[in-house]
Amino acid sequence: MMNRGALSRVLSGCLFAAILAMAPGPDRTAAAQSAQSAQPPAGPSVADIRAMAADARKEIDGYKTAGGAPDAADHPAIKWSAALWQVRDRAPNRETIALATLEAIRMLNRAELWDRTQARVASLDADDPAWERVPTALYEGAIARKSFDDTIATLSRTAASTKSPSNKAAALIIVGRIHRRLGDLPAATRSISEARAAAPGTPQAEEADGLIYEIEHLSVGLRAPAISGKPRNARRAITLDSFRGKPILLVFWAST
Amino acid sequence: MEEVPLLKALHTKYSKDAVILGISVDVSLDRVDRTIKEKGMTWPQLADGKGFEGAIPMAYRIQGTPELYVLDRAGRIVAKTGSANQVEALIKDALARPPM
Repeated sequence: MMNRGALSRVLSGCLFAAILAMAPGPDRTAAAQSAQSAQPPAGPSVADIRAMAADARKEIDGYKTAGGAPDAADHPAIKWSAALWQVRDRAPNRETIALATLEAIRMLNRAELWDRTQARVASLDADDPAWERVPTALYEGAIARKSFDDTIATLSRTAASTKSPSNKAAALIIVGRIHRRLGDLPAATRSISEARAAAPGTPQAEEADGLIYEIEHLSVGLRAPAISGKPRNARRAITLDSFRGKPILLVFWAST
Repeated sequence: MEEVPLLKALHTKYSKDAVILGISVDVSLDRVDRTIKEKGMTWPQLADGKGFEGAIPMAYRIQGTPELYVLDRAGRIVAKTGSANQVEALIKDALARPPM
């Protein structure tokens, strides 16, 4: 149990910190500054950027629905993409820089302004933190255009020239995803394994692990992973093998 | 759950030739049992109450529902899809393939 003396020390400590935190201007002490650094960082937050992107999508889709010219100089995608790029330049950390850049490029994709996407991407240094997310935007654009060669080339160039392990891994993962999508599983495995080796212990390495598992265990043509158990609505246990000879439809579901 | 009527129709139509196997990612087994009953899902239903962390959803890397896999007569993966709408064509395709 806490005694009175301890309680009053805690209280006066809180009061002291509170006064320091309120102290204005340049003569802040180190303690006040450390209290300050516990506050959320200044500049746009992830939530701010997400909200902005949602507004942007709404306006761009409204413009399209209303029959706005796709190549107009005042296309809202251009305005929003530029605004997100400005946010990117003010963003306080890697996460927000990458997210703002991703969304800026997505808006151009949404309006199918591929040349502008390309120009924006070309302006990014290979070590820019945005490269952790930009490959995703390029992949989405490539799927929409049904054209992958230039995206593979751009990503391979970035992977080869960046000094950032996570940028390299992020680029190679998307190269791998493209190969997998095009049915070239050996090439997909090579790129994704290289990604995993480049950035051990990162989220990218974890993603690479998952993709390799999918390629090795869940690709079309492979024997499906074993299943066994007693159904909730039957008396006897079943296995996949017990249905051999008949096609099987597996349905993963959740109550809603 | 909107896929249930279609699955029921497929279950009736292909009951002799193909198998439907449900795997619930619900975290409550009571809820699973209730849904199976309420929706009249008579085909076999597996569930362990561990959601996406259950052994089978993990083995199939399930991240959302519905997720469907079509397997051929030899248990090989024919297709994976996030919607039941195109699934009948895939079953027909699997049925048309030689047994092994």
